[in-house]
Amino acid sequence: MSDTLKALVQACRAGEADYQDLIDRVPYARFLGIQVLAQGEELTFILPRNENNLGNPTLPALHGGAVAGFMEQAAIIFILLQMGEPRVPKTIDFTIDYLRAGLYQDTFAECRVTRLGRRIANVHISAWQKNREEPITIARAHFLLSDENA
Amino acid sequence: MDVCKRSLETVRHSRMLGLEVLSAEEEGVRLRLPWREDLVGNPDTGVLHGGAVFALMDHAGGMANSCRLYPAVEITPTIDLRIDHLHAPTPGKAVICDATCYRLSAHVTFVRMTAWEEGDEQGEPVATGQATYTRMKLDRSGRVAS
Repeated sequence: MSDTLKALVQACRAGEADYQDLIDRVPYARFLGIQVLAQGEELTFILPRNENNLGNPTLPALHGGAVAGFMEQAAIIFILLQMGEPRVPKTIDFTIDYLRAGLYQDTFAECRVTRLGRRIANVHISAWQKNREEPITIARAHFLLSDENA
Repeated sequence: MDVCKRSLETVRHSRMLGLEVLSAEEEGVRLRLPWREDLVGNPDTGVLHGGAVFALMDHAGGMANSCRLYPAVEITPTIDLRIDHLHAPTPGKAVICDATCYRLSAHVTFVRMTAWEEGDEQGEPVATGQATYTRMKLDRSGRVAS
């Protein structure tokens, strides 16, 4: 895995690089238009309102796949920043519950690592629009961290 | 088939992903997601992002519902979807997804999805999915019936 990624993650941790640089490395993250807001060590991921992410044209509502991809990418960045030897985690599985329609608005997401093992990470992701107490979707995912036996 | 092709055209995000309907029958649908540089999730390997494959599956599942329900028209928002990534798809290759609605209950549909690399539709799947959708019947004016 590339040394540039490792250097970038370390620079982000040290406050010498913008978290956004880490996101903008990923073509698909740019495709969705993902942004990040860092407040101290707390990260909130943002999927700005963008008509390219619409699914239902008449409501209008966001495409469930765009919201899912946003949450998955948020979790990947979140784990990367916690790894001793940063390498892009591989998604093993991703399970999402849709609780409310994603309106044509900005969407926010936060992650909680339930367990960061040596090989596998278990992450919970929650996304909201109005306020974080009313999530539009919640997701649970497992990521493979090491390349051994992958 | 034509209805499915037209419906896909109205879904902006799916059009942006380059999704394409290959077949649509009552028993199930087959959709294609192209490999494209802007859909890559890992810039070091060139592998497609899991989110793009997820969107492909979600859309295929919704379309499988429509085909099963046809000629009735209902909208079927996703309740939940789980995707398992069995192995990474080869960079440069499109991903093909089959989706089948295997149970249509009064209020809920149950769908399974399987995805392969293009050209390897008989081989090992790259991903499998399992989802439920809720049925919302439309009245004559096309609004959701209460």
